[in-house]
Amino acid sequence: MKEWTRREFLKAGIVATGTLAASELLAFDVLNPVADPYGAYPYRGWEPTYRNQWKFDYFGRSAHSVNCTGSCTWRAFVKNGIIFKEEQFADYPEINPKIPVHNPRGCQKGANHKEYVYGAMRTKYPLIRADYPGNNQNRGKGNWRRATWDEALGLIANKIRDTIQSSGPDTVNFYAAIPAKHFITVAGGFRLANLIGATAMSFYDWYCDLPPGSPQTWGVQTDSCESADWFNSKYLILWGANLLETRIPDAHFFTEARMNGTKVVAIFPDYNPVSIHADIHVPVKPGTDALLAMGMVKIIIDNGLHDVPYIKQYTDMPFLVRNDTNRFLRESDMVDGGSDAKFYLWDTVTGKAVLAPGTMGMGPPVDGALTLGAINPALEGTYPVGTLTGNITVSTVFSRLKLKLMAPQYGLASVAAETGLDANLIRQIAIDFATTKPARIIEGAGVNHWFHNDLNNRTEILMLALTGNVGKPGSGWDHYVGQEKIWPEASFFKLAFPLGRPRQRFQNTTLWTYVHADVVSDVDHLYPRTINQYIKESVDNGWMPLWPKGTLDNGRQPKVLFIWGANYINQSKGWNDLTKNLLPKLDLIVDLNFRMDTSALHADVVLPAASMFEKWDLNSTDLHSYIIPFTPVINPLHQSRTDWQIWRSLAAALQATGFSFNDTTAPFSPANPQLRNFSTLLNDFDTMNTHNTNPNIPGDPGPFSLANDKDAAQFMLNQAEETSGMTMDQLVAQPRRFPKTSEAWTSDLKAGEAYHNFQRLVERKRPLGTLVGRQQFYIDHPTYLGVREELPVYKPPVDAPTQGQYPLRWITPHGRWSIHSTWRDAKFQLRMQRGRTVVYLNPKEAANRGLQDNDEVVIFNNHGSEIARLDISSRIPVGMALMYHGWEKFMNTTGWQEVTNVRINPTQLAGGYGQLTFRLNYWGPTGSQKDTRVEIKKKV
Amino acid sequence: MALTNIQKQVRMVFDLNKCLGCQTCTSACKTQWTDRNQGQQYMYWNNVETQPGRGYPKYYDMMGGGWDVKNPTYASGLTEPLSALRFNSPLPKVNESYGAPWEYNYDQVLKTSGGTPTKTQVVPSPDPSGANAYGMNWDEDVATGNYPNAYYFYLPRICNHCTTPACLAACPRKAIYKRQEDGIVLVDQNRCRGFRYCVKGCPYKKTYFNHLENKSQKCIFCYPRRTDSLEATDPQPQLAPTFQSNFCFTQCVGRIRFVGFSGNPAANVNKLIDTWRVALRLHPEWGTEPNLYYIPPLSPPGGGTSTEALGTQNRIPVDVLASMFGDDHLQTHAQRVARIEEIFATLASERAKVAAGGGSELIAILTAHSEADRLQLHLG
Repeated sequence: MKEWTRREFLKAGIVATGTLAASELLAFDVLNPVADPYGAYPYRGWEPTYRNQWKFDYFGRSAHSVNCTGSCTWRAFVKNGIIFKEEQFADYPEINPKIPVHNPRGCQKGANHKEYVYGAMRTKYPLIRADYPGNNQNRGKGNWRRATWDEALGLIANKIRDTIQSSGPDTVNFYAAIPAKHFITVAGGFRLANLIGATAMSFYDWYCDLPPGSPQTWGVQTDSCESADWFNSKYLILWGANLLETRIPDAHFFTEARMNGTKVVAIFPDYNPVSIHADIHVPVKPGTDALLAMGMVKIIIDNGLHDVPYIKQYTDMPFLVRNDTNRFLRESDMVDGGSDAKFYLWDTVTGKAVLAPGTMGMGPPVDGALTLGAINPALEGTYPVGTLTGNITVSTVFSRLKLKLMAPQYGLASVAAETGLDANLIRQIAIDFATTKPARIIEGAGVNHWFHNDLNNRTEILMLALTGNVGKPGSGWDHYVGQEKIWPEASFFKLAFPLGRPRQRFQNTTLWTYVHADVVSDVDHLYPRTINQYIKESVDNGWMPLWPKGTLDNGRQPKVLFIWGANYINQSKGWNDLTKNLLPKLDLIVDLNFRMDTSALHADVVLPAASMFEKWDLNSTDLHSYIIPFTPVINPLHQSRTDWQIWRSLAAALQATGFSFNDTTAPFSPANPQLRNFSTLLNDFDTMNTHNTNPNIPGDPGPFSLANDKDAAQFMLNQAEETSGMTMDQLVAQPRRFPKTSEAWTSDLKAGEAYHNFQRLVERKRPLGTLVGRQQFYIDHPTYLGVREELPVYKPPVDAPTQGQYPLRWITPHGRWSIHSTWRDAKFQLRMQRGRTVVYLNPKEAANRGLQDNDEVVIFNNHGSEIARLDISSRIPVGMALMYHGWEKFMNTTGWQEVTNVRINPTQLAGGYGQLTFRLNYWGPTGSQKDTRVEIKKKV
Repeated sequence: MALTNIQKQVRMVFDLNKCLGCQTCTSACKTQWTDRNQGQQYMYWNNVETQPGRGYPKYYDMMGGGWDVKNPTYASGLTEPLSALRFNSPLPKVNESYGAPWEYNYDQVLKTSGGTPTKTQVVPSPDPSGANAYGMNWDEDVATGNYPNAYYFYLPRICNHCTTPACLAACPRKAIYKRQEDGIVLVDQNRCRGFRYCVKGCPYKKTYFNHLENKSQKCIFCYPRRTDSLEATDPQPQLAPTFQSNFCFTQCVGRIRFVGFSGNPAANVNKLIDTWRVALRLHPEWGTEPNLYYIPPLSPPGGGTSTEALGTQNRIPVDVLASMFGDDHLQTHAQRVARIEEIFATLASERAKVAAGGGSELIAILTAHSEADRLQLHLG
């Protein structure tokens, strides 16, 4: 054998052309001479080997129904009836030639859905726990018996009938997550729940994805720009939003914006993946974000960098507050029979208090209602006012804010000390932020999963509003945690709640879990009253619902739980309380699933669902303005059925019971009963409330049949103004941009422009759904006044008195390897990680504990313990242990919620106050988990 | 140096300032080419590694291979490559260097089929524990330096389809060849007898040995996906020309990957490499003349605790980058340092130009409006 030299190699390459005529026929299995492998290789007849591997029979379009906000359209290639390859379709139409396109969209998880179609975790036929009924403590052991559909559905139907008879319909609970990820799949369960009187559970607040500061300040659940608008920002703060890991399909808009001259600031305690592409990394101490924001607010105001005309027009900063009661000055204070929802400004032109236009009491929120006209409100000052009960003084919200900022804790030196940052750095960022426009803050779960998430939200929004950075392209506060908003909202609710939403029992899941898991509060010491007293007040006042009715007084308990399109049991905070107290109360847990996840494993009955590539459905997201379809690229495998068809077959099984009852449990009553006649249930499921009643939607008035999945999807498209006129077949050909937005959105969707939020507020002066009709930073609800949170303030992380001895902050961010628990168990994904559950720790912390990389460790506190492998990384600060969330309990006998607790923040129980009115997934207590401390030791 | 046999050469640029470390490229490759038989399970023709780190396979950059340029520090004074092929380097070991792929006993844990109902722990085999455990992405996000000055970046790697491929030269059966029409390097699966000299010869360790088929296998640049002069009918008539590119390029969701042919001045790869000179090769001192170039990674200043840091300093020491990236094997370390600083200065000034409202061809390319700006094999 000859050794080549590089010189000879190059020479051979140059001279050896044309000397090779050997044909494939001579390619015996002997060492044939190849004079020149460099360019003119004679034996290329083998190349079809790989060509054959790539050949396919056909491809189809589908998507992934996971709560990732991706809404990515994929093509799946099929050969011999088997999906062997997935590829991003990358055919979203362009928005504007000056903005990068949304293509391609996808990630490594989407590329590997086929493992769930064909892997060992796939559910193939109905399963019933072998020792069911009873023996609830034996759940989760994988001990199943195979059942027929008829047997499984009959069991469930009879149990529902018996439970309704013995305990009432409000003890039957339906838990699903994220309609936007698969409208039809979610709507099917809710549709049945609505017909039989069961309770529909929330998810967005429970997952702590709801940013309470958004409904508090703006009166909307949340409204964020599509990611293409990031490209329009000039100053971009990534605040606890790890775009590189959690917004993989969108992250390029930020790296491209940065290349395009946008200044990018990353505020994270750890030097996490998104920080590596920032211009500045701000290593803030965990949980001190609101203090940093308040410190910057003070710098902005002290330097006169706030936008006075903007905040006079679009915020409550000039609104007058009574100095005696700390309540807004209301018309009811001034005029007999005056409104509680009309408020005052101090007009510098006339020198008196005048009613502010555009507040909730001033009439419907129409365009132009916020126009100040001749009024020039004072932004600051204290003024005398004569009320019905005497003379008082009032001062503006802005004056009160400035007073608040004079507290020593908001001084720069103090902020720097507590956030662990350099004072000059804080000052510089504050000034650059206020002077580089448009500026945007993208806030993520890193900030929102704290107990005081509302304060984190409100302080950040305050920075933006003060600088006029809400309502314009490239600006805004954008929160992407969960695929929360549905574009064709009206048709979704029509499909999901045929009897209408007022006739549906809704339940905030945080409160439900807290109460029924018998959680013991560990934050009572922070408040003037106990958390249980706040809960009682809220439920008694009707601010928050709690099913079954009367639970707090008469001890009624939930009995039946359906879980589909979600993994409630795995993801639940306070795992130990859940399993010890709540699950045993349930007589029947049913899980509809295409894979055996932790919830399915802990169920009594598992119904095998079609995978994401085996059904018709629809998917949308906040991150872009298109709607994309699911199609059955292959038929449902084994005995699986689509979720829609499972709900239909359960409706048929319930019909077979011949049951019928008059529902008189709240919100119904003996005087106002709801007849629930199961003998027509399947027909009701298929046709009820399918008439078109919206005059803006042309075409066939119906009624329509929803008997098959594609028709249900088409019904959704037909019955909303945002999608009316689109057909499923058109979407299968190519995703489409929505032509318009509903009132659930705060902006219009304009051709050629990336969607951004609050454009109607600023361009059309249309009031928001808040009490003051503007961005509301002062909330004079008694609860807020009682806990001193009427204005945005900083409150440190909750350190429960029982957790003082645990030195490490327990941080469980979303990561790149899973969408919550989905793909956590996927083999091909795990091979690209360390193969099992890992926890990251700073090298010093590891050394202090005598721990080596990859050691098996125990993570523990007073709530419980978890097992993981150690991953030592200097990107993590001392004092923090970081584990990406979502690990299935069966991956390592433990998950990541054993050490957490369910906590209720009293401000989020408030109701009866303008925008603070319960609505499923829009307003209610969030289930935070970041204020947790742990210790780590080697497992022995 | 003209190599007339190669009519066209694919050239690639990876912009490390856009890499997400998301491994979608890895998955795109894996799920098409190497997930079907056991002999391929450990292979990652495309991988993304956190750097500084041990890479994949572990310590590949210290295993040898490539051309011996007679001076391991590639000092100055070398006017012509005098190298001999270094193919007597050790072979990577499946367990220690690659990490054997894990299997999980879901059947036993999740369902009754064959399992003990009381077992609740998924058991991977082999268990990824112990001192020798390793995997393709073992060092993910494990930074170098001390917090808050820790640093790391992502380095995606595929076969470089080198101009002077050491794997090709090392093959005693001449079963590796470089195609005339596109310059990609392929292992003839009929002729290969699994001698593994290519594995030893490739300093990037981008050929892999399939112990079940007894053949070496590597990145094929997805040639069946592209219009191929050998076979008129590729099995993808419905794909637009821009998507007739390799999976790892079309699927790159960070949009970091540019591909085109050398010699076409309209191709953005050539503008980035030759006109704007912002892209460098990985370890050019190994002498194989890779056709994959990288735009070196910027990084925020260290510490974040001082306004001094608000300037333009990068926390990744330029020495670290210069030890990895350069133009060719003739360059000294100091020259590499200067080149990297020059690239960073170019990026800074073009960014500033655009921020001030001006236009920049470079920024327009890097922000890559559409797929047609990145995937340009159709330009010929």
